[in-house]
Amino acid sequence: WLQSSLGPVRQCLSVASTWPIRWNSSSTQQRPTEMDSFQDQIFLSDTCVKRLSEIMQKGEFLRVQVEGGGCSGFQYKFSVDSVKNKEDRVFEKRGVEVVVDQDSLEFIKGATLDFSEELIRSSFQVVNNPQAEHGCSCGTSFSIKV
Amino acid sequence: VSKRKLLPTRAALTLTPAAVNKIKQLLQNKPDYVGLRVGVRTRGCNGLSYTLDYTKEKGKADEEVLQDGVRVFIEKKAQLTLLGTEMDYVEDKLSSEFVFNNPNIKGTCGCGESFSI
Repeated sequence: WLQSSLGPVRQCLSVASTWPIRWNSSSTQQRPTEMDSFQDQIFLSDTCVKRLSEIMQKGEFLRVQVEGGGCSGFQYKFSVDSVKNKEDRVFEKRGVEVVVDQDSLEFIKGATLDFSEELIRSSFQVVNNPQAEHGCSCGTSFSIKV
Repeated sequence: VSKRKLLPTRAALTLTPAAVNKIKQLLQNKPDYVGLRVGVRTRGCNGLSYTLDYTKEKGKADEEVLQDGVRVFIEKKAQLTLLGTEMDYVEDKLSSEFVFNNPNIKGTCGCGESFSI
């Protein structure tokens, strides 16, 4: 990898002396994020997979987003979607799919998606989020570790 | 306290048809339990949150609400906070929950679980 990546860098450097803008643009290529993406994932609990396989029609998947809001700064948002965008990462387990866009994934990577069933409510939840400092009682809102 | 001094009473808690159906369904296969008990707990970002449990008997200080054949008991601590509340059951694809439409509350949290009075 080192050798193959050094090649283009050297090329860029030689171009850079005459054409600095070109050097800038090629240095922002996606290689680092591609490397990280092996760790950038979320886990799906068994109850979550089971529930998704019950409720989802063919072609539908669960989209998880992180938005600003809630009492702790950020909140999770769940929706049913059937259109995937370019920025999306897809997590598949036993035939069900969960989709997270790249920006949201930064906030929930390493976390587990769970379906919690209680008497008072049953809902999807993000649990064990290594990025989250503390959350609201409902688990919808959270603040991030600095 | 003599009964004469009491004001005309309203049910402390009203149930929507959706809530009645869900509670019936929940209790269908559980002959041990006589109903559900609603309480409040100091918890959450806004001070209080609701709790809901099965109950086997009416507690001493519990307020009993009997509506359409289902029984809901209200904990002593929760009776004042819940007065006049409508208990609803909302269900969609991703979540299902009992919702309390409480006229006494001053503020809620974003998720609607926590509240203050």
